[in-house]
Amino acid sequence: MKFLHTADWQLGIKAAHVGGAGVRVREERLASLNRVAEAAQNHSVDFILIAGDIFEDNGVERTLVQKAVDILSNFKIPVYLIPGNHDPLIPGSVWEHPSWESTDKITILRREEPVSIPGGILYPCPVREKHSRKDPTEWIQASDAEGIQIGVAHGTVEGIQQEEPDYPIPRDAAIRAGLDYLALGHWHSTATYPAPDGAVRMAYSGTHEATKFGERDSGNVLIVDIPSPGTPPKITPVHTGTLSWHTIDEDIRESGDLLRIRSQIESIENPASTLVELRIGGLMFAEDRGEIDRINEILSSRFPFGHLDASGVRPSPEDGKWVSNLPPGILRNAATRLRELADPHFAGERPQGASPEVASRALLELYALITEVSP
Amino acid sequence: MILRSLSIAAWRCFIDPVDVGPFKDGLNVIYAPNATGKSTLFEALRRGMLDGHRVGGREIEAIRPWGRSLAPTVTVEFAHNGTDYRITKRFLDGANSKLERKENSQFVSLAQANAADERVRAILSRNAPAKGLAQSKNWGLAQVLWAPQGNLAIGELSGDVLVDIRNSLGAQVSGPEASPIEKRIQDSWSEFFTTGGKLKTGKEAPAIVRLRERLRKAEDELTSARLQQQAFDETAQRVEKLRLRHAKAKSDTENISKALKEARSTADSYKTLLSEKKQREERLKATEAKHNELKQKLETITGARKELDDARKSLDKLELDIPQQEQKVQNCQKQADEAKAALNDVRKRRPLIDTAQETAEQARRFAENSKTLADLNSQLDKIFTAQITHAERKKERARLVAPDAETLWNIGKALKDIDEAQVRIDASLITLEITPEQDGSLAVLSGDETGTRTLHTGSPTQIKGSPEVIADLPGIARLRAWGPAGSIDVYRDDKAAAQRKLEELTRPFSTTDLTKLENLSKKGEELDKKIAEAETKLETLLSGESIDDIKQERSQVGEAMAKVLEQHSDWKNIPPDAKALKIGAQESKTAFIKEIETAEPRWDAAQVALTEATTEKAKLSTRMEETKKLLGSAQSRLAWLTIDGKSDDEREEELKKAALAWEGARAKLEDVEKQISAFGEDPVAIVEHLEKQLETTREIATSALSEEKNEGGILQQLAAEGTYSTLSLVEEEVANLQRAIVSEQLRVDVIDLVYRTLDQCRAEALAGVAGPVEAAATQILQRIAGEKLGSLHLGKSFEPAHVLPEISGTSVTLDSVSGGEKEQIYLATRLALAEVLTKDERQLVVLDDVLTATDADRLARIMTILEESAQHLQILILTCHPERYHSLKDANFIDLEAITKNSSAT
Repeated sequence: MKFLHTADWQLGIKAAHVGGAGVRVREERLASLNRVAEAAQNHSVDFILIAGDIFEDNGVERTLVQKAVDILSNFKIPVYLIPGNHDPLIPGSVWEHPSWESTDKITILRREEPVSIPGGILYPCPVREKHSRKDPTEWIQASDAEGIQIGVAHGTVEGIQQEEPDYPIPRDAAIRAGLDYLALGHWHSTATYPAPDGAVRMAYSGTHEATKFGERDSGNVLIVDIPSPGTPPKITPVHTGTLSWHTIDEDIRESGDLLRIRSQIESIENPASTLVELRIGGLMFAEDRGEIDRINEILSSRFPFGHLDASGVRPSPEDGKWVSNLPPGILRNAATRLRELADPHFAGERPQGASPEVASRALLELYALITEVSP
Repeated sequence: MILRSLSIAAWRCFIDPVDVGPFKDGLNVIYAPNATGKSTLFEALRRGMLDGHRVGGREIEAIRPWGRSLAPTVTVEFAHNGTDYRITKRFLDGANSKLERKENSQFVSLAQANAADERVRAILSRNAPAKGLAQSKNWGLAQVLWAPQGNLAIGELSGDVLVDIRNSLGAQVSGPEASPIEKRIQDSWSEFFTTGGKLKTGKEAPAIVRLRERLRKAEDELTSARLQQQAFDETAQRVEKLRLRHAKAKSDTENISKALKEARSTADSYKTLLSEKKQREERLKATEAKHNELKQKLETITGARKELDDARKSLDKLELDIPQQEQKVQNCQKQADEAKAALNDVRKRRPLIDTAQETAEQARRFAENSKTLADLNSQLDKIFTAQITHAERKKERARLVAPDAETLWNIGKALKDIDEAQVRIDASLITLEITPEQDGSLAVLSGDETGTRTLHTGSPTQIKGSPEVIADLPGIARLRAWGPAGSIDVYRDDKAAAQRKLEELTRPFSTTDLTKLENLSKKGEELDKKIAEAETKLETLLSGESIDDIKQERSQVGEAMAKVLEQHSDWKNIPPDAKALKIGAQESKTAFIKEIETAEPRWDAAQVALTEATTEKAKLSTRMEETKKLLGSAQSRLAWLTIDGKSDDEREEELKKAALAWEGARAKLEDVEKQISAFGEDPVAIVEHLEKQLETTREIATSALSEEKNEGGILQQLAAEGTYSTLSLVEEEVANLQRAIVSEQLRVDVIDLVYRTLDQCRAEALAGVAGPVEAAATQILQRIAGEKLGSLHLGKSFEPAHVLPEISGTSVTLDSVSGGEKEQIYLATRLALAEVLTKDERQLVVLDDVLTATDADRLARIMTILEESAQHLQILILTCHPERYHSLKDANFIDLEAITKNSSAT
């Protein structure tokens, strides 16, 4: 038996953290399903098993449901799925949409009861509420059954840090339930849980397309091959994600660092599918101010989403020459005052709104104006 | 700018066109009496240079000559930066504005309408508002240079002029290199902020303002989207609950239906048993009734027999008792008769007892009446005596004629009046006293007593009279004496009236001697007192009664005593011993009562015994009758009960059979009841209960289904809306805007901080350079007023704040200096500021009827200062006191009154 294990498509996801790129993020999640289909086809799987959270919420627009059904219908192989905690099986859920009735390839597993499939039995654990402290796999008793026993559940494997239990699943759930494999959903990174004998019978496929910055090992599906009952499954991750989420933290120390950072950004491959979050701290020279603007321009124009956080940048103490070169008078006094205010450790009375960040930027602005008028 | 000429027409008091000018570059004095229109000229100059020609409202309407439909017009010729201009403005009807520039000695049109207004206004104020020019704060440069009528005071400067002053002074501290940068910073800052430091709004609003507005709208949409999403989630929960409720109700319905079916089967069995139980109960009742009937009949026969026997025995006994009782009645009757006779014997003595009592009472009253009669006689005797005494005293008083106290007082007063009148008469008389040295005679010609008087040597002779006394001393002289004309006749009349009064008052007493009259009065009073005493005594004796009352009482007592004496004639001679009679009567009565008290109980007891015996006898007779009836009744009943002819044994046997039948019926009933009790709770009630439950659960199921359909409809509608997708879009929009706002805010904050820091540095620098203005103002002030006021200090907007006299060393506010010094301080400040503001170009300074409180000495010094200032300022003085400015050298004096007269004549 060979099947494709996927989960957490989160179609219709909200992406406020990337602002205007939200639409693109949602589109890519839908487009990536074609690569899921390709993976299934390439690995000649018998069926596709989706472990919940196909949709971000039951309140997603119904055209999205229709689109998902259309894509799944084109998979040409059976698809088995369970509702997850984002799209639980409740009144008004996406599962009540009539489009699901338009195809016989998709089976929505609505009850905790064994379902016979060619070569074995499926043990589905559909989710009916957003939160629960109950182990969804508790009901499964597959030890005496014939064929390959596959469980599919949506929850949190014990050991993952959480504020409170959320559909807790024991680490030995597959063995305890007598399953050959337990397909898990809910966590977006790919993760496997080897049994004491080294065999992996329980895994998170992770989301097929990464959802945010800092998400580890996501954008995959798993090809699970179980030759016969009791045989350890062979699990092969296949990357299906399109978008890259880059987080860059840089600390500038000397003049020219910003140029290096700009080069680093410019060298990012496939920028049209990359989202970038750049945080710069450290000490900056006034003459490098133009690099900040240049980096901002690149981030804004080249990537679907690019954000520069330069709030940690402060004027370099070594960069006081331009101030001292100013003729004596109110301009020099003002520049000196702004330099003082830019220092986070400034002990004097700060004018309203004159945070170190604002003062740093103000000093750079003053420098820019001075150089603009008197180049 | 400096003024070349000014022409106005149809402007307040100037109905006809008036041309004033040309003006010199230096000093100009326009003079005219009050109400000739000097300030109107100044107003026309202000409006011509600063007002929009389309300005409306009551204020501008007021400049139109009263009662005329004329359009006010002003033309100002002026020079600015070396070029001559002419601005002509017509207000109200056909309002227009035209600016011309002198080119090749000819004025050529430069701008019209609003453009003309704005170009001219810009000369004095870079950012003058289109309206509100009546307020000097909007005059720009003219705030300093132009002083309205009688108001040299300079307030807190504002707007462009303040900027200009600061810039002018600031340029000295910024240096030429900094100015373009400062301007660039100012321009950058001005892209975001108004001159007041607020973010711009409207068309010029910076991006952050628009972003905030968009964010506000987006946040409103977000709130709405969240509510929709919340509604979706909550509706889903409600539908889920309703589904569960419906499913449970449906399941309950099925379970109850099943239970109901079983319960109904059980109830049928139960009802059958109940029916059987009812039959058994009826059977039990029938057998019991039969048994009881037989048993009762047996008991009745036994009872009848016993009753018959008892009646016979009672009858026998009564036949013996009744004769004995009859004898007892007779004995009692006899004893009662005896007791009654004894009682009657005692009672017959009662009249004797009563008579004795009455006699004793009569004796007591007789004795009392005797005493009363004696007392009344004694009282009457005393009354008669008192009456006689009283009558005698009254008679004596009647004989005495004496004045009472009031009359006596009136007499005294009359005597006093006579004496007083006499004194006044004596005082009014002229007295001529002659003491002859030898005997002779005197002929009194006029006086109280005329005639001849004899004179004796050494003996004075007085002649009295009024109003004059005339006497002849024959052969010697005629003497005439007179005095002040007096009213002696009045006094004589008073005296005569007093004498008449006295006579009238004393006529009854035959004397006018007051002492006698007083004695008479005293005697009368004593007699009155005695009469009063006699009356008091008489009243005391009468004690409120009349003599007739007392006499009538005495007569009644006498009659009572006579009646008694008719019965007891012996008491006339020997009065009865009332006490002894009373004791005897009382003793007789006590003995009588004692006997009565003995006889009456005896008689009562005998009566009671008789009544009891009689009653008992009647009872026995009655009982005998009743017993006889009972006997007959019992015999009849027994006969009826035994009419069947059965024996007692036969009846006993029949009773035993009935008891067995009853017992059998009871056992069968208990058997059925046992079966029924095995059912426990009433199956029929259970059926009813289940039927109700079924009905309720069916209603719940129906209701839940209906609600579920309703809520389901709403849910489907919300689901179709895609609430979450909408929420996502809006949240993303909000986040995007917030990010953009943070970025824009940083931009704004940055330029604002640059600007504010620079401004603060400039202000700090200016604080140092403002000193020259203060120094210049102080110097001018000290030239005018001497060193008394010390140094002059300005506020942050260059308004005069206080002076610091060197003597005191403490600051003195302008409120504390004199009116003259105050206007000198303001003049000094204006001239010092004018120095700052007019470095590049000569400017017009207008002083409209100011310096009115300044004395001649200081005014002379001011003239010198004005002459000096006129070297680089054009000074226009409007005054109604041209003589105060005659000392000004090279001043251009303009007689406005003459101009207006000429104008009217023309």
